[in-house]
Amino acid sequence: MADRLTIARPYARAAFEEARERQRLAAWSESLHTAAQVVQDPRVRTLLGNPHVTAEQLAQLVTGIAGPKVGEEGANFVRTLADNHRLEFLPEITTLFDTFKDAAEGVADVTLTSAAAVDAAQRGKLSAALEKRLKRQVRLHCRVDPALIGGAVLRAGDLVIDGSLSTRLEHIAYALTA
Amino acid sequence: MAIKATEISDLIKQRIEGFQSVTEARNVGTIMSVTDGITRIHGLADARYGEMLEFPGNTFGLALNLEQDSVGAVVLGEYKHLTEGDTVKTTNRILEVPVGPELLGRVVDALGVPIDGRGPVRCARTAPIERVAPGVIYRQSVSQPVQTGYKAIDAMVPIGRGQRELIIGDRQTGKTALAVDTIINQKSSGIKCIYVAIGQKQSTIANVVRKLEEHGALAHTVVVTASASTPAALQYIAAYSGCTMGEYFMENGEDALIIYDDLSKQAVAYRQIALLLRRPPGREAFPGDVFYLHSRLLERSARVNQEYVEKVSQGRVKGRTGSLTGLPIIETQAGDVTAFVPTNVISITDGQIFLETDLFNAGIRPAMNAGISVSRVGGAAQTDIIKKLGGGIRLALAQYRELAAFSQFASDLDEATRKQLERGQRVTEVMKQKQYAPMSVAEMALSIYAVNNGYMDKVELKKVVAFEAALQAFAHTNYKSMLDEINALPKLSEDNEAAMKKCIEDFVATGTY
Repeated sequence: MADRLTIARPYARAAFEEARERQRLAAWSESLHTAAQVVQDPRVRTLLGNPHVTAEQLAQLVTGIAGPKVGEEGANFVRTLADNHRLEFLPEITTLFDTFKDAAEGVADVTLTSAAAVDAAQRGKLSAALEKRLKRQVRLHCRVDPALIGGAVLRAGDLVIDGSLSTRLEHIAYALTA
Repeated sequence: MAIKATEISDLIKQRIEGFQSVTEARNVGTIMSVTDGITRIHGLADARYGEMLEFPGNTFGLALNLEQDSVGAVVLGEYKHLTEGDTVKTTNRILEVPVGPELLGRVVDALGVPIDGRGPVRCARTAPIERVAPGVIYRQSVSQPVQTGYKAIDAMVPIGRGQRELIIGDRQTGKTALAVDTIINQKSSGIKCIYVAIGQKQSTIANVVRKLEEHGALAHTVVVTASASTPAALQYIAAYSGCTMGEYFMENGEDALIIYDDLSKQAVAYRQIALLLRRPPGREAFPGDVFYLHSRLLERSARVNQEYVEKVSQGRVKGRTGSLTGLPIIETQAGDVTAFVPTNVISITDGQIFLETDLFNAGIRPAMNAGISVSRVGGAAQTDIIKKLGGGIRLALAQYRELAAFSQFASDLDEATRKQLERGQRVTEVMKQKQYAPMSVAEMALSIYAVNNGYMDKVELKKVVAFEAALQAFAHTNYKSMLDEINALPKLSEDNEAAMKKCIEDFVATGTY
């Protein structure tokens, strides 16, 4: 995973800087997502390593489906990837692109996993508290996982705030056996 | 042992009541691979170098490689239950071990967990295993001796408190024996000892512990073990753990002695970790920072002044200096001291004791090569009486070595040369000493005085050892007060000299040797 990210990083950064300069971040992001989905399609996947399919044909296929939104630069970007045999890294490039985009726009994705459903008022309160702590706008994604028993787990990137009952029970188990 | 059910439930209740769970924000990552105790973790963006990481199953690890997308960490202990995809958390703590006088008399592993079956160690404090050595202004020069109890060493390569003296030699030359005897001799000196066994056989460690116990030396000793069967990560950190335990005594105005047995194996364990972490190999496949590995460890052995002790102990201990004497051991292969690790450690330490296989097999034990063994700072710490008498020993042996090689070709020698040769042979005999028989300063002084002043010249070479033993026994029965006086005030005064002379002459007159 790390190696793939390392390969994807320079492409993602180049795409991001290009998009930022032309102030077309949203359009680029959308196109990259579409292109990534195209590449992940099993039918396209078989073509990626096929020696009978040229880089030019692959590039045309991907840009054709991904649409004309990104214009000349986007097509060039896909062609470069095809020439370098890096089309299969499009999903990672897209993820990294979104990370750069979020950082630039000051937005953070936060996943809230809770034992019971959370209502809108609680969500609003949580978002406000998190925005204060992370100093960013928060996009809250909610999930329900009964296995937590009680409480909730918040995850923003690598940061995890774990207030679930299951984790606390686990801690008690260690404290008793250690 | 019978335990009542009510006791168990009470105990559990107590523990649950005392249990505090706080919701805390932690950095997490995911294990990508586990290979030979090395894990690659994706995420953990905020992990610090050397931070403890928490793996599932109450297992801990040490973050050693911080890379762009991943963290390389060694698992401290078992790693078979870890799988790809497991979650790893940061702990915000640098690796720590328990410290304090409670550890004395105990055998612990590299993390300070007791393994001697005598129950938990209740230390009030912990300290990080990696620390920066005391600075220049807080240091004081070496001025008090560490008595090893060996005539050869205390007379010719004296060790001072706070010194680093390397013990180097091939396998089976008595390196560990020397170290163990030094610990045994600290019974009455008040020096606390830490014996760090790295990469040794469990049976060897058990033997050392038993010997220490037999000689009543375990009570002032902490044994830190990372045997050959423990993971390389623990062998690597054991030396630092032991050092931290020793520093506690130094910082509280006491004197401590630490023995690293041995640093070659620690370097090998570190090499394994470094190679598995894919750090580039250098000379002998060791990583680039092997010198720093040992230099930062041995720099922590120091003699610190009163201000330092007062500052670190927050005013609890005043007017006392502290010291941590380091005796690292290095095992050479076929006497090759020019290998990478031996040359490094020789250059770091304040002197070295060379033990040689040839001497050992010739019956000269301790098998120290007096010609190339040196102590760069210990002279300042030697007791007056041994310093004055020891000079004669060094000179006699130096002249003897020169002549011994030369005299093999000469058929007949002049009187002066023959005398020098004979004196040298007798000094070599007197320097022999049995294991587990450390000598006091007065006993050493008496033996050295006897050989220096020619009382043994007329004794047959084969009988020199017997002569010395009988002389010591005679002095103990008839001149006990003289020995006590010299031990109390170890100076070569005229009175002491006259008393020793009288003692030896009386003994020679009895002819009981």
